[in-house]
Amino acid sequence: MSERTVSILKEVGNPNKARIIAHLTKHKGENAEDLGKHLGYPLPTVYKYLRELEVARVVRSEVKDKTRLYYPSDFKLEVSPKRLMEIFEEQSILNLYKNRFGDDGMRRLGEVAEKVNAGKMTYRQAASTLGITYYEFVSLLDETGAIQ
Amino acid sequence: MNKKLVVDSSILIVLSRRGALEEYLRWEKHEGYEVLIPRAVARELIDEPRRLAEKIARKSPALASKITQSVEAIDAAIEDDLIRVVTIDFRKYSRIVDNLRKYLSQLEAKPEHAIKKGDPELIVLIIQLYDRFKEKIFVSTEDKGLLRALKSFSGRVEYEVLHGE
Repeated sequence: MSERTVSILKEVGNPNKARIIAHLTKHKGENAEDLGKHLGYPLPTVYKYLRELEVARVVRSEVKDKTRLYYPSDFKLEVSPKRLMEIFEEQSILNLYKNRFGDDGMRRLGEVAEKVNAGKMTYRQAASTLGITYYEFVSLLDETGAIQ
Repeated sequence: MNKKLVVDSSILIVLSRRGALEEYLRWEKHEGYEVLIPRAVARELIDEPRRLAEKIARKSPALASKITQSVEAIDAAIEDDLIRVVTIDFRKYSRIVDNLRKYLSQLEAKPEHAIKKGDPELIVLIIQLYDRFKEKIFVSTEDKGLLRALKSFSGRVEYEVLHGE
C-alpha cells in the first residue's frame, strides 16, 4: 500500500496533473484533445500526463466509438507526519540493503547511482558492482524516487 | 502488423511493484504495440527475484510476499501473451554480442565473462527484430547507459525510445 500512496503523492504533487484530475472530476469522460484545449496544455504533454496518471491509477480510461475517454479514479490520500513515518519504515528493499551493507553500502549506492544517472554505467552493471540482483537495484531506484 | 516494442526489465519491475503492469501492457497492446523481451531478461524478471524472495522469506515475510506478487504479475503477463519472450539467434549475432560485452566490460573495468547477459541480449534483440521486419523498432527503458550502448548502432538500426532519454 505504501508504494501506491507514494505514487499518488508524486502525481498530485504536480499541479498540472492535479488540475487534470480536478477537471476530469467535473467533466467526466473527456478526451485528451478536449482536455488540452480546456486546460491549455499541448497535446503531447496531455498524453504524457494521462499515461502517467493512469499508471498511478488515479485516472482511468475507456474507448468509446474509437475515442479514448478519461475518468478520475476514486482515491483518498491521508498524509500526516505519522503516516509518512509508517510508509517509509515499512519493509522495503532499501531497508534490506541498509541492514546488509550499512553506511558504507549507502555511500557506494550513491556513487553508483551518480554513474547510472550520467549514463556511464547500465543498471545491470550497477547491480553487479553493488553485489545485488538487478531486481533489487531497480527497486532501490524506485524506492528512492530516482526512477519515474 | 503490430509495432515492435522492446521493453527493458526496469520498466516491467517498477510497474509490477506498483500494481500497474497489466494496465500498462493492455494500453500498449491497444496502441498497437507488441511487447517483446529477450530470454535473459525474462530470467532476471522471474528467477532472480523469486530466489531473493525465498532467501528473505523468514526474516522479512511481508517484503518476500510483495516480491513474489510482483514476479507473479510478470509471469502472468508472459502466460497471457501480453509480453512475448524472444530467443536471440546467437549464431547470427555472435560478433555483435562479443563486441557489446567488450564495450560494457571496458565501461566498468570488469572481465567480459562478468557482464550480465541482459544488456547485450536487449540490444541484439532490437537489431534482430529490425533485420527481420525492416521497420522502426520502439524501445522502452530509463537506463541511460543501455541507451548509450544502443546509440553506437544507430546507423545500422532505426529505433525510437519511448521512455528515458
